[in-house]
Amino acid sequence: MGEKKIYSKLGEVIAKGDFVLTGELEPEKTCDLSHTIQEAKEMAPYVVAANVTDSPLGIVTINSMAVSHIIQKETGLECVWQLTVRDVNKLGIAGMIMGGHALGLRNILSLTGDHPNMGDMPESKPVFDLDSATLIKLVREMVDKGSINGHEIEHPPTLHVGGAANPNADPMEAEILKIGRKAEAGAEFIQTQVVYDIDRTIEFLKGIQKYKVPVMLGIFPMKSYGMAKGFDMFVPGVDVPKDILAKWKSVKTDITDKKEQKNVYDQLNYEFFKPFISELKSKNLLAGVHCMAVHYTRIFPKLVEVIGA
Amino acid sequence: MVVITTKKPVDEVLNVLKENNVKKIFIVSCGVCAALCQTGGEDGLNEWKEILEKEGFEIVNGLVVDDVCDNREMAKVLRKNSEDIEKIDAFVTLSCGLGVQSIVETTSKKYPSMKVFVTNNTEFMGMTERIGRFYMRCLGCGDCLLNETGGICPITTCAKALMNGPCGGMVDGKCEVGNYERDCGWVLIYNRLKAIDRLDLFSKLRDARDWSESGHQREVVFR
Ligand code: SF4
Ligand code: SF4
Repeated sequence: MGEKKIYSKLGEVIAKGDFVLTGELEPEKTCDLSHTIQEAKEMAPYVVAANVTDSPLGIVTINSMAVSHIIQKETGLECVWQLTVRDVNKLGIAGMIMGGHALGLRNILSLTGDHPNMGDMPESKPVFDLDSATLIKLVREMVDKGSINGHEIEHPPTLHVGGAANPNADPMEAEILKIGRKAEAGAEFIQTQVVYDIDRTIEFLKGIQKYKVPVMLGIFPMKSYGMAKGFDMFVPGVDVPKDILAKWKSVKTDITDKKEQKNVYDQLNYEFFKPFISELKSKNLLAGVHCMAVHYTRIFPKLVEVIGA
Repeated sequence: MVVITTKKPVDEVLNVLKENNVKKIFIVSCGVCAALCQTGGEDGLNEWKEILEKEGFEIVNGLVVDDVCDNREMAKVLRKNSEDIEKIDAFVTLSCGLGVQSIVETTSKKYPSMKVFVTNNTEFMGMTERIGRFYMRCLGCGDCLLNETGGICPITTCAKALMNGPCGGMVDGKCEVGNYERDCGWVLIYNRLKAIDRLDLFSKLRDARDWSESGHQREVVFR
């Protein structure tokens, strides 16, 4: 974020050039946030901030702006408010950005959002008035120029905005050029989709290096064989490598003691991600790691050491 | 260009006619687009005559009209058939939504209580691959982008009508909507722009669409 103003802890750590670790909170279809608050408390000592998802897969959940605010208030953990353009038009989103600021939110991750058609309210109207790049541009206008569409904001918001990238995307060149657009729009950081393929990841990160946007790599440590298999089967476009699946499977079948099983799973994750991340770090391709392992907070204390965050 | 229509369920139409106390009917069937979609034309007219007569409705007249959606054409048809129109409770229209409204607009002055019903659902302006295969490729957005997108429309080929795709829902060139069976419009655009050596256009950051002129009633009036 260079010489730019700093509005959040995340912004500060990135600007300093320290290696960042962010986590992820996935609130559900509920008004009771005790589980999410508990997870936030567990990861808080180890992460700089945690993303709060906005109805992923188009399955409606409690609103991410409200949850981000409550988590910050209850736990002190800074949030990255995931904001999709799926269900609110430009006018509504501009209002939300001011509201988010007023609620103490200082980081936005701009996302397109999964189409309502994929989720549990498929009859809902898809909005997509903005897209993930034009939302970034809007936030930056509001923050940097203090205006919306050229109209002055009396007390403008101050927050950082980042975008997403998918190193698994094929054709890759289209994805790289798209990141160029997000950079031009003013993205201050990039968080990537989960990756497992190191060669592809290197090729992609090198491809977007010219845009000079700090990148946090998305990783998904797998808590169990069930998790690994579920991820492989249900997350479109990301395949968990066969050898990993086989290793995780053997833990499930060969080790009967549950406690021992947990330890081995954790160990396997460290063994996989340590060389993966250190190779990318040594090539100067990363600003940090975004760990999306939800409901797997016990991984954090050691993960911080392993990736050197 | 064809306005693509599909048939409403027969029961839906019959119920609405009964609910409105309709007994005597004038059928107007579109001879152009609806005929092509097999929801109008001569065949549609005969089909609906049979259905309605079987249900006890009286068909006072039934016509295939070439431009139901053209007010001038409809006004002419109405003038020529005024005697029959005096006798009926309602028009049943085998056309798109434009045809129906054209009849409403042309009859409502002289016959303010005249009812007009439709047997079809209007789907979209369609491109024809062959009869029975029509695709939405233009929504008439009022600000055509095709010169910038290699002749492929992002509004209709992208499920989210994005200005800066592809989104994260694209996997191997396919779109998340529809179970990864349809092409991602933005990958099609990328491939086209690459083929014509204009990836510079693909790299361009596009502003959000301007809805100020098209987000409400629209008309083209130049005379
Ligand atoms: S951009 Fe698409 S919807 Fe708009 S006029 Fe052109 S083809 Fe039609
Ligand atoms: S996958 Fe492609 S076509 Fe589908 S919504 Fe995303 S950009 Fe549009």
